[in-house]
Amino acid sequence: MNDDARPDYDLAVVGAGPAGQAACLALPDGPRIVVIDEQLRPGGQILRQPPRAFSVRGWLEGAEYRRLKARLAAFESLESVEWLGGCSVLGAREAGEGWRLALSDGGGVREVTARRILIATGCYDMAVPLPGWTLPGAMSAGGVQAFVKSQMLAPGHRIAFAGSHPLQLLAADQLRKAGGTVAAVAFSQPFRRFVLKALGRPWTALTNLPRLMSVLLMGWRLRAAGVPIHFGRAPTAVEGRDRVQGLRLEDGAVVACDAAAFCFGFLPQSDLPRAMGLAVRPARPGGWKACHDAWMRASRPGAYVAGETTGVKGADAAAAEGALAGLAVAVDMGVLPLREAVRRAAPVRRARARALRFAALLEAVADPGPLPDRDLPADTIVCRCEDVTMGDLRAALAIGADAGGVKLATRCGMGVCQGRNCEHGLLALLGGVSTEPHGFTPRFPARPIRIGDLLAED
Amino acid sequence: MDGVDVLVIGAGLVGCAAACRLAQAGARVEILEAARPNAGASGANAGSLHFQLERRFLENGEALADQAASILGLNLLAIEEWRGLADELGPDIRVHMRGGLMVAETADEVAILERKVAREVQGGLASRMIDGDAARALAPGLSETVVAASHLEAEGHADPKALTLAFAAAAAARGVRLRQRCRVVAARPVRSGYRLTVETPDGPEDLTAPKILIAAGAWSARIGELFNLHLPLYPVALLMSATERTAPLLDPLIQHVGQRLSMKQAQAGNVLIGGGWPSRMRLDAAGRFDLDRPAEMLASSLRGNLAVAARVFPRVAELNLIRSWTGITAITADQLPLVGAIPQAPGVYVAAGGSAFTLGPTFARLLARRILDEPEERLEIFSPARFGHLNSFMGAADA
Ligand SMILES: Cc1cc2nc3c(=O)[nH]c(=O)nc-3n(C[C@H](O)[C@H](O)[C@H](O)COP(=O)(O)OP(=O)(O)OC[C@H]3O[C@@H](n4cnc5c(N)ncnc54)[C@H](O)[C@@H]3O)c2cc1C
Ligand SMILES: Cc1cc2nc3c(=O)[nH]c(=O)nc-3n(C[C@H](O)[C@H](O)[C@H](O)COP(=O)(O)OP(=O)(O)OC[C@H]3O[C@@H](n4cnc5c(N)ncnc54)[C@H](O)[C@@H]3O)c2cc1C
Repeated sequence: MNDDARPDYDLAVVGAGPAGQAACLALPDGPRIVVIDEQLRPGGQILRQPPRAFSVRGWLEGAEYRRLKARLAAFESLESVEWLGGCSVLGAREAGEGWRLALSDGGGVREVTARRILIATGCYDMAVPLPGWTLPGAMSAGGVQAFVKSQMLAPGHRIAFAGSHPLQLLAADQLRKAGGTVAAVAFSQPFRRFVLKALGRPWTALTNLPRLMSVLLMGWRLRAAGVPIHFGRAPTAVEGRDRVQGLRLEDGAVVACDAAAFCFGFLPQSDLPRAMGLAVRPARPGGWKACHDAWMRASRPGAYVAGETTGVKGADAAAAEGALAGLAVAVDMGVLPLREAVRRAAPVRRARARALRFAALLEAVADPGPLPDRDLPADTIVCRCEDVTMGDLRAALAIGADAGGVKLATRCGMGVCQGRNCEHGLLALLGGVSTEPHGFTPRFPARPIRIGDLLAED
Repeated sequence: MDGVDVLVIGAGLVGCAAACRLAQAGARVEILEAARPNAGASGANAGSLHFQLERRFLENGEALADQAASILGLNLLAIEEWRGLADELGPDIRVHMRGGLMVAETADEVAILERKVAREVQGGLASRMIDGDAARALAPGLSETVVAASHLEAEGHADPKALTLAFAAAAAARGVRLRQRCRVVAARPVRSGYRLTVETPDGPEDLTAPKILIAAGAWSARIGELFNLHLPLYPVALLMSATERTAPLLDPLIQHVGQRLSMKQAQAGNVLIGGGWPSRMRLDAAGRFDLDRPAEMLASSLRGNLAVAARVFPRVAELNLIRSWTGITAITADQLPLVGAIPQAPGVYVAAGGSAFTLGPTFARLLARRILDEPEERLEIFSPARFGHLNSFMGAADA
């Protein structure tokens, strides 16, 4: 199909998490919508579903998931939506009256066109380099969680958790329920930071009391099960020769374990927005968040962004933003009067504002501080795809290069992950050197793709 | 800013190498770079060492091919230059000169290749025709569709990013100052030479030197305008792709005589695929080509390029593409490099255009001699004087 023909769809939604689902649910019937997600089934990170083939008892119990599951069920019953699961979006570019997306479903690459595109690709775990963090058995807390959620199995025997994000309590709790052993949970920050930050935002803390209580409850459950929970003890190294054998903490103590899970926070998925030329700005604790107007329109015509790709903020805010984007698409398509959209948006905006206040509290509590540690030993790997060490980076930084210059000089960010796991660290290191840190130039494809598949495209 | 003999504009390979050679000869040199070393084509190129006549010289008829063959003398010098570089600059630049094949798949292509080799041999290059099986013996995995190839033992590849930095370091060791984020925005003749105005993060500044070298790659024509000169250099945007790293797979450099293709396995293990497929340059606010923003990749070029690569060397189809990028380089009206003194602006020199990864170190060595007023005839055919008619009404008066 050439660029002038009528697009295949009125709207392409990339990502079927809370944001993508809510967008579809907010649209009136009529538009031809395609929803594309790398996962086989919709749900996003928070509701990662077990494969249909084997259903598991006790999958994600708990009150906090009920609303998410109800939304998912409503989304799955939408008839106007064409679902493309197990399909990665490699890139999207402006073409004629809309956007042309390159998709890979593992067997081949094809293109679809859509008049409008919504990027709702969520966030991912922030990698933090430490000595030994590339040993087999060291992973992100989200990685453990995805594993537990998708198959209800525990990798390794004893897992130690460390980091600054409270989500690690949730992950540890889920792991324990799934039959794994939690060796310890270590927070980098002192306990009083939690109290002080909550006291600093008393209203937000109060209105989110049930949430805070449930976190406390998790901690209490873990303690009751004999799991040590440490505060003010950052992890300093993963110990072990061929695989993880222990986790060293700030005070030198080593927690014996078979696997180590880190949780310092999340980075917005920014590869597609950046490759599409959408405006982004720096996010906390790292990465880039896509810019948008009050209706979640991004900086190029026909492009919308919603959910954690615009900043890490939790499932409720993500869903609210998805709904706003859905209403905006309806207005821009001319299938919903603006006045009606404004009316429907009002409660959504209130919900979003509420959720954002909680997200700000969480961000303040979880702030990992400047990472990676500038004084890491020189042989610590920072870019694991290309084995670039802290020492290599220090040498390049001494010349005064920017991110692109360091990439060319050291190969940092040139590997298969395209810098997803090292760009933020490098920019943090550059922070003190360069006045205007620009990130890596975004490159096609957003995910590695077999050349034979790319050529097999119809 | 007293005491600088030569101000070099641009810290790509050409600027850094020229500064290094000038300093080695005793000159006091400063490099002015708008962004950082490798910001331009030198940080984006394929790193091929092409010493055979390139396909682009052969695709526009015999007359042009004959004219282009005049580059062979420079290629011979470049082979010698490259043989010395690894020793001089160290292993980081990853020189790999273990042969290059230019393949043919049809009878017509074989005929072009044969004429090409005849020209090359006449010009003193040790290239030779081999049949498909001999080519496959040198590059196991090469497709059965390859019926013949021209082979040159000296060809190969090196690491372009590292080469620029190695020259910059060697220059620094000789006292050359490299100023990053220092963009030349104006030039004016003065009694003692030329005064350049640069924009820096700390504000504008004026710098004066008797001699100026324009080594600004695709930006060189714009720099020429600052001197009231036409430099017939045109920006072109090209595409490159890299696969994931993989075990040793491909030893020689592969090119194609009838298709745009260059393919090699870099020392790190990635297979790099290019060969001159176009990208689309963006336009700036004034509607001119925007040389400061990456060009836009064209899906048709990506497909076309990968398809030729996979046809000629089927095993690349099994590899993952991890990155495609675009880069902007400069070509001249007659495809030959533009290197030498500019007659209408005494004291101003230029070195740009051509496959200046392969040839840049050689330009640098010869041009440094020319700038320091030593006899140097070997650059004559690349001299800007050949476009003198364009500058008949231009130039730098009123010193
Ligand atoms: C590992 C991890 C675990 C988490 N666990 C919890 C938790 O237990 N509790 C909690 O409250 N919050 C959790 N969060 C936060 C939670 O995910 C978010 O608050 C919420 O799900 C955000 O919704 P979203 O719609 O913005 O994005 P997501 O729910 O993340 O959905 C984005 C979707 O986009 C898809 N996608 C991304 N890129 C592409 C692409 N190029 N092509 C195709 N599809 C793509 C992904 O597969 C994903 O399904 C977790 C986050 C992560 C990263
Ligand atoms: C994709 C691609 C693949 C290629 N493959 C090959 C190959 O395989 N083999 C080969 O031989 N050649 C190849 N080339 C060509 C080769 O890369 C170039 O010829 C060579 O790098 C040119 O180097 P340079 O120093 O002249 O220019 P550049 O590297 O472009 O450097 C010019 C510098 O000038 C600076 N500058 C610009 N304006 C100003 C100003 N106003 N003030 C100060 N500084 C300024 C720029 O920031 C830049 O750093 C390729 C080119 C491209 C784009």
